[in-house]
Amino acid sequence: MVEIKDLYFTYPNYQTVLENITFSVPTGQIVAVLGANGAGKTTLLKLIAGLLVPDGDVKVRIDGKTPQKISGKIAFISEAGTYFNDLTPKTYGAFLQDFFPTFDKAYFDMLLDFFQLQERPMKKMSKGQKAKVEIAAGMAKRTPYIIMDEPFVGKDMFTRQDFMQALSGTLTGEETIFITTHEIREIENFVDRVIILKENHIAIDITLDVLRQEGKTIQELMKEVIGYEENSFYSLLDKTEDSI
Amino acid sequence: MLDFSELSLNTSEPVYAQINEFIKRQIFLGKVKKGEPLPSRREMATLLKINPNTAQRAFRALEDAGLVLTPKNTVSILYFDEELLLDIQREMTADIVAEFVKKLKENKLSLDEVMGLLQQEWEKGAKE
Repeated sequence: MVEIKDLYFTYPNYQTVLENITFSVPTGQIVAVLGANGAGKTTLLKLIAGLLVPDGDVKVRIDGKTPQKISGKIAFISEAGTYFNDLTPKTYGAFLQDFFPTFDKAYFDMLLDFFQLQERPMKKMSKGQKAKVEIAAGMAKRTPYIIMDEPFVGKDMFTRQDFMQALSGTLTGEETIFITTHEIREIENFVDRVIILKENHIAIDITLDVLRQEGKTIQELMKEVIGYEENSFYSLLDKTEDSI
Repeated sequence: MLDFSELSLNTSEPVYAQINEFIKRQIFLGKVKKGEPLPSRREMATLLKINPNTAQRAFRALEDAGLVLTPKNTVSILYFDEELLLDIQREMTADIVAEFVKKLKENKLSLDEVMGLLQQEWEKGAKE
């Protein structure tokens, strides 16, 4: 159970990113956190993961505790890649196994195979490959809380679908998951709930059940709330393609 | 074993309802038999790329509808009695026609017009 109450966050340059954020997520729910670039999605995820600390008193509680206190139960997976560039995926796995008691080495190796990652130092890998190592590492921690920041960036459609399939087949249903992505299509039938951030606030917080009762898809909701077109952001970015 | 490869999920109805509908349709078309085993929840989640809780929910909905039995410690099987089969047949035929006729009446079409259109459309389908 994740509880967030009256959350505000301001960066040291006095730029306020999140205001008056309140919601709670029951155990086992899969939540998509969506919004335009700069809406505060990554900041919110980092606050939940305990990588950032909100303004003022404790505003984020996970199972009644601060995220910092239960950091071993949270996996934060992002496109940022790894800090262990000299290690190969396998040696990185061995390191993580020493570090995280719940680390599932067999699952990690399976995911490395699945992503077709070769045994070589991560500094010699493409951005997309490094991200895959991080996804494998994060998932293999087998934590009850999984926070994924743009896990699909730099991955082609087939890899995205394969990843969704690997994810679907390996979760137990007990994991509480937060995911941000611009690839709405991949998650339409996967998430239980959508929270859309707009101009530092929660613009909408709706379960997929209610959304579909209203006869809408997530893509339509995004268009309605923030005038969003899927993938239009690509035109603004240098596309990082996988070298595989 | 019930084959889910023909089920392509849309993004406008609840996933569990789509699975329910798919299975009813398979029964109606005679593609599955009573007593046929279902994939496990995990297999279903993997095949359809849905989350395991949704698969669980689909199973519960099927059990509630009386279409799936899960005897203790064994795999779930498909189950339907005569009454349920009749319900499904009605749903897949009479209900569709009733809904269709209602919409046409709302559009102020006459039976003759509809019959003509129906014949045209039917034959078009046959040629394709």
